[in-house]
Amino acid sequence: MHLSDDDIVRSISAHSPEGIEALYDRYGGLAHTVALRILGDRGAAEDVVQESFLAVWRRGSTFQAGRGSLRSWICTIVRNRAIDRLRGDRRRTRLDTPIEGASIEPTGSDPWAAVAIELSGEEVRHALAELPAEQRQTIELAYYAGYSQSEIATKMEVPLGTVKGRVRIALDKLRTSLADRVETSWPTQ
Amino acid sequence: MADPMSCEEATDLLALDAVGALEPSDRDAMARHVATCATCKRAAAEYADLASLLPSALELVPPPARLRRRLMAQVYAESAASVRLPWWRRLVATIPAGRPFTAVGAVAVVAAIAFGIYAVAGRNASPTSVSYTVSGTTATGTLAVDTTARQAVLTVTGLAALPSTEVYEVWLIPPQGAPRGAAFLSPGLGGGPWTAVMQGSMAGYKSIAATVEPAGGSPTPSNTEVLSGQLTES
Repeated sequence: MHLSDDDIVRSISAHSPEGIEALYDRYGGLAHTVALRILGDRGAAEDVVQESFLAVWRRGSTFQAGRGSLRSWICTIVRNRAIDRLRGDRRRTRLDTPIEGASIEPTGSDPWAAVAIELSGEEVRHALAELPAEQRQTIELAYYAGYSQSEIATKMEVPLGTVKGRVRIALDKLRTSLADRVETSWPTQ
Repeated sequence: MADPMSCEEATDLLALDAVGALEPSDRDAMARHVATCATCKRAAAEYADLASLLPSALELVPPPARLRRRLMAQVYAESAASVRLPWWRRLVATIPAGRPFTAVGAVAVVAAIAFGIYAVAGRNASPTSVSYTVSGTTATGTLAVDTTARQAVLTVTGLAALPSTEVYEVWLIPPQGAPRGAAFLSPGLGGGPWTAVMQGSMAGYKSIAATVEPAGGSPTPSNTEVLSGQLTES
């Protein structure tokens, strides 16, 4: 029986082990890939993935539909834990804690969740390849190496404002490029 | 009073946040704006989803099967504990079957250990691992607690073999409240030490005991515990 992300969210909210099982079966491979890419060590990556899913199991109610899809949520949790481990900063609290207090709700309408499902890795790679090198490098330094805006500015020898703009422009370009590859009614700017 | 943030400024910060590059000093101001701006709230979600697509460009590296087993063993253990069912029910299939009967039989045997996690923590040789010497009427052993991995391994010698109708069940005992069934001791190959692995934090438990129980375990420990001995670090 195919479970939607909404079904998985409800199951996790009900503190059902089957919910975590379904979440892992759906996104565990992606989570492991992210952790391994960041840490470069299989043992460390496995530890981070286990810690992340256990955190979801214990605090599943912190997921907020309005802040993105279940996929992005678990990716953020895994990515942040991997970066914390990479940089040795165990006191850092980040995006797995909600900015606003809100009760858990099913995802409902989420255009990019639907888009993400339809996109292949090849399409995402192609879209990233279309970005100017400095925009792609900025995103990679942030997402996979855990550098902050100021650290990226220092590393790339550009002003802070340049880094800020590059990330937004790069993500906007990705949105446009990927939306063109998948039929969607979601408007692009 | 600081000028309110514009949507243009917030959007830049939201993009940085989505890829994990937001400076901590910018977070509060961004959060205040997002809390009151539906457009930027939507943008935050969209940028988060866009960023979550980045790993799709990577070649997928599936995790090993052991990771799923390890994760779900812990999840089911905690789930069982929360509904007052011994988590060992999930492990029944892993218990070796057909243990030979011995003359010792169903004698009440225990390796009882008393330890104070908080009291001993300051004497730890290592900040992430703690070892305790355990002893009982006929048994001696070691409880090794890895606080980083949130795992503890109990290794015991001097335990008599049990018939297939009985098991040694390990209990974690909090200062108040009922003991929690945590594991079964499994006999080592060729007469080696008995061992039990427990996942999760040991914090909050004051003592640990093992009792003889019917195969499959019991909801609460039977009256087979021998007087506990003092804990000493290994």
